[in-house]
Amino acid sequence: MTLPLWLRRRAVVGLLASLLLALLLVGLRAYLHSPRYDLPYRDSFQQGKADEWKALGGTWELENGTMRNDSDERGAKLLTGSPYWRNYSVEADIDLLGSNGDAGLIIRSGDEEEGVNAYSGYYAGLRTLDGVLVVGRAQHGWMEVNKQIKDPNGIRTGRWYHLKLLAYDCQIVAAATPLSQATPTSLAITDNDCIPSGRIGLRSYSSGGIWRNVVVRPATHQDLVAMLETAGASMESKPNNATAQDSEPLGLHRIDEQQEESRATSNHAAQSIESLRVTSFAKPAIATVRGVVILTAPRLFVQDSTGGVYIPQPKAPLLKVGDEVEVTGEVHSGDFSSTLEHATVQVLWARTPMPPVSVTAFQASTGKFDATFVEVQGRLASKEQGPDNTLILDLDEGPQSFRAILNPGRSDYLFNKLKPGSSLRLRGICVVDPEFTRNLTPFVLLLRSNEDLEVLAGPPWWSTGHVIAIVFAALLLALVVTVVYHRIAHWRLQGALDERQRLAHEMHDTLAQSFAGIGFQLQAIRNGVLDENSALLQQLDLAGNLVRHSHEEARRSIATLRPESLESEDILSALDLCARRMVEGTSVQVVVEREGDQRPLPLRIADTLFRIGQEAVANAVRHAQPTMLTIRLKSSENQACLQIEDNGRGFAQENGLLGFGIRGMRRRAQSISAVFQIRSRPDEGTLVQINAPLPPRVTFTTWPIIFWRYAREHWIDERRSKPADSHSYRG
Amino acid sequence: MSDARNPPIRILIVDDHPVVLAGLTSMLGTQPGMEVVGSASGGEEALEMFRSKPADVLLLDLRMPGMSGIDTLHALRRARISVRVIVLTSFETDEDIYRAVQAGAHGYLLKGAPQSDMIQAIRVVHGGKRYFPRHITERLAERMMRTDLSARELEVLHMLARGLTNKDIGRALNISGNTVRNHVNSIIEKLEVSDRTEAATTAIHRGIIEVNS
Repeated sequence: MTLPLWLRRRAVVGLLASLLLALLLVGLRAYLHSPRYDLPYRDSFQQGKADEWKALGGTWELENGTMRNDSDERGAKLLTGSPYWRNYSVEADIDLLGSNGDAGLIIRSGDEEEGVNAYSGYYAGLRTLDGVLVVGRAQHGWMEVNKQIKDPNGIRTGRWYHLKLLAYDCQIVAAATPLSQATPTSLAITDNDCIPSGRIGLRSYSSGGIWRNVVVRPATHQDLVAMLETAGASMESKPNNATAQDSEPLGLHRIDEQQEESRATSNHAAQSIESLRVTSFAKPAIATVRGVVILTAPRLFVQDSTGGVYIPQPKAPLLKVGDEVEVTGEVHSGDFSSTLEHATVQVLWARTPMPPVSVTAFQASTGKFDATFVEVQGRLASKEQGPDNTLILDLDEGPQSFRAILNPGRSDYLFNKLKPGSSLRLRGICVVDPEFTRNLTPFVLLLRSNEDLEVLAGPPWWSTGHVIAIVFAALLLALVVTVVYHRIAHWRLQGALDERQRLAHEMHDTLAQSFAGIGFQLQAIRNGVLDENSALLQQLDLAGNLVRHSHEEARRSIATLRPESLESEDILSALDLCARRMVEGTSVQVVVEREGDQRPLPLRIADTLFRIGQEAVANAVRHAQPTMLTIRLKSSENQACLQIEDNGRGFAQENGLLGFGIRGMRRRAQSISAVFQIRSRPDEGTLVQINAPLPPRVTFTTWPIIFWRYAREHWIDERRSKPADSHSYRG
Repeated sequence: MSDARNPPIRILIVDDHPVVLAGLTSMLGTQPGMEVVGSASGGEEALEMFRSKPADVLLLDLRMPGMSGIDTLHALRRARISVRVIVLTSFETDEDIYRAVQAGAHGYLLKGAPQSDMIQAIRVVHGGKRYFPRHITERLAERMMRTDLSARELEVLHMLARGLTNKDIGRALNISGNTVRNHVNSIIEKLEVSDRTEAATTAIHRGIIEVNS
C-alpha cells in the first residue's frame, strides 16, 4: 500500500526541514570552531570589564584599566579566547610585582587546571630572577629555552615591558621589549610535535604582575617572517628535555635567603595590634606592629593574631595581600580599632594570607572585629551598583543586616549571576567606619576579590519567577494533555469507523448477496411447483418471506455500519435522513426537533443513539403505521435525550420481531449507561426515549478535575473494594 | 406464452456472487418467454460474452471487484453494444442510482424485489421503456434537484467559495484542518472537478450555492 499523498508531502517537507536544520547546525559549528572565531581580540580592561576571562588561581582584579594579580602563587592563570584559535599572536604590556618570579603570556592553551604547569600550551615570560626571556612548552610538565634580555639592568619590577608571542604552524616566537626601549629580545622555537590550537592566557609564577593592552590578532606566515627578521632571531630548535628545568628548588632557595635577610633587618620591638588600644590618648605615640596585609585597596589593613589596624596613607613599597609587614607610625585610637598614621611599612616576607575569623553578623556588628579579616554568612537581600564602579550587596542574617562591597571588574559576571534570596558566605575586612557604612548598617565587609564570595544555596524555589514558571509549565502540560487526549480519541474513533466500513463491505459482499441468491432460488423452486400443491407453496412463500426479511435486516445493518450514513457530529440529521429513506413511498411525515445546545456528542454515544434511533424509527414505520414521526434530541451539559415518537397504533405487548428489536435497543442503551424507556398503548402511539449521561467535557480547564475523579474512582477506591465492572464496552 | 412470433427475451446476468448468479439463473430460467443465455462474474467477462451470445437484456450488479457496474455500462456504450441494461443491486445509495442512470441504465432494481417486479421490469425494459420503482424515482428526482454533497460539505463549499482557507473553515466550523481537507477532497471528487477553485465556480454555476452567500 502506498502512502497517502498528504503524508508523502509532509514527509518530504519534514525531510527538507531537517536537512536545512542540519546544514544550519553544521554551519554554526564551523563558525564557532573556526580558527579565527572572534579574532582579533582586544581586552576591555579600560572599561572595567573582564567577564570573558577565567581565573585558575591568583587574585585577579581590575585596577586602573589593568589586570592585576597580587598573589605570589606559582602558576596563577587567567584565560580567555577560543580553543580553536590556531595561527595568531598575543601581545600585552607587563609589569612584574615580585623580584623572584616571572610573568608572561600563554598561547594555544588548553586542558587547563589549577597548578604550576597544569595546562598544555606555550608560555613566554619575563623572569626577574635571572633577567631572561623564557619561552617554553607546558603539557602538565615543562620544557623551556631562555635568553638574556638586552638590557644591562636585567628585568626589574615596576617597569613596563611589551611582550609579544606568536604561534604559526609549529613555530613559536616571542619578543620582549622594555617600553622605553626599541630593541626587542626575541626567541623562537620550532616544536615538531606542536600543540595545534588553543586559547590565550596571562600567567605568573612566584610573582604578582600587572597586564594591560592585551591584543590577539590572526597571524600569517608573513607575520612570522617579519617578526623573525626584525628580531634577527635565530631559530632555536625544539626545547629539549635536557634543558628542561624545574625552577622550583631555585625559587624556594632564593625566597628563603631573602627571608633570612629580612628577618635580620626587622625591628624586634614590635608590639601586638591589640595593645595599641591601650596606648595613651594624650599625645600620639609611635608604635611598631608586625602583621599580615589583609587588604591593600581601597585601604591598607594589617592584622596580627590579636586584631587589625588601619593604615592611612602609608609610606610603603608595593604591597600585596599576604605580605608580612612591619609598620611603624602614630597611634590614633578609634571607637573600635586603632589607626597608624604617617606610617612606614616594611615588607618582611611574603607568606600565605591570614585565614579569616568566622563570626556571625551579630558579632561583627558589635565592632569587636573592626579592621579584622572575617567570614560571615548571610542572605542576599538586594544588590546594586555603588559609586566608583563598585558593587554593593545588601545582606542580612536574621535580624542583622549588613553590606558587602565588591571590587569592580571580574566580579561583574558573578554579581550578575547572584540572585536575591541566595545564601552567601563572604570573607572580607569588617569595617565600621561610617565612610563605608554611611550609618545604614552597623558594619561593612570589604571583599578582596570575588573569590571571597561563595554561594551556599540559591534562592528558595518558591520565588515569584519560579512559581510563575511552574504555573506556566502546568498550563502548558494541561494544554498538551488536552490536545493529546483529543487526538487519541479522534484516532480511536477513526479506527472504529474504518473497521465498521470494512465490516459493512464484508456483510454486503457475503451475507446480503447470499440472502438475495437464496431468495431467487426459492422463487425458482416455487415457480416449478404446481398450483395443486398448496401446502408446499405456502411453505415456500414463508421461506421466501423469511429470506426477504433477513435480506432487509442485513441491508439495514450495512446502512448503520456505513460511516457516510452517520455524519457523526450530528446524529439528528442522520436519523432524519434515515427516517426519510424508510418512509419513502409512504405518506408518513417526519419531524425533527432539537432542544438545548448543539454540543457535539462523544462519538460512542452518538453512534449508539443513532443505532437505537434507527431501530426505533424502523419499528415505527414497519409496525405502527403512523402518519407522523417525531425525532427529538435534547442535549444539556451532562445528558443527551433522544426521543422517537409516533402517532401510530401502538402495542400492548412486546413480542415477536418487535420484542427482539426492543431488547436490542435496551442492550445498546446499557452499553453507554443510558436509561431506555418505551411507552406505548394500543392506538395511542409509541414513545421511545433514551437518556444518555454525557461524560464531563475534557477541556483545557476541566481535565485536571476529571483526571482526579477518575484517579479516585479507579485507583484509590479500587484498593478499598473491588468494584463491579462499571464499564462495559460495545461488543 | 412463448411462440415463434415472440422469441424469448435473451438475458445475460452479471454478478460477482455465485449464489446470486445461480439463484437468478434458476428463477428466470423457469419463466416462460425468457431465456438466460449466460452469466458472467465480471464486466470483462460480460463484454467478452457479448461477442458469442448477444443478449437483449443485461442484469448488472453494481458493486463488483475490478470492473464495476458503472464501468461496465460505460464500456458497453464505448463498444457500441446496444443492450438494455437493468441495474440489479442489493444496496442503493442516491449516488449509486444517480450514477447508474447517468451511465445509461434503463432500469434499477433491488435484489430484494419480488419476482413479479423483476419479471415486469425485464419485460418493460425489453419493450424499449425504462423501469424504475417509485421510491427509486423519488430519490433520483431528489438527487437531481440537490447536489450529492452532505450538509457539512455544503457548508464547507460555501466558505470555500468565499475564499476561506482550510484553516479558516476549520476554525469557523470548529473542526480540524484535516477534516476540512477531507471534506474538500470529497467535494472535488463529487463535483468531478480538479481543484477547489473549480469546485467553487462549478458549484456556483450549477446553482448548488448562491453567489452572494
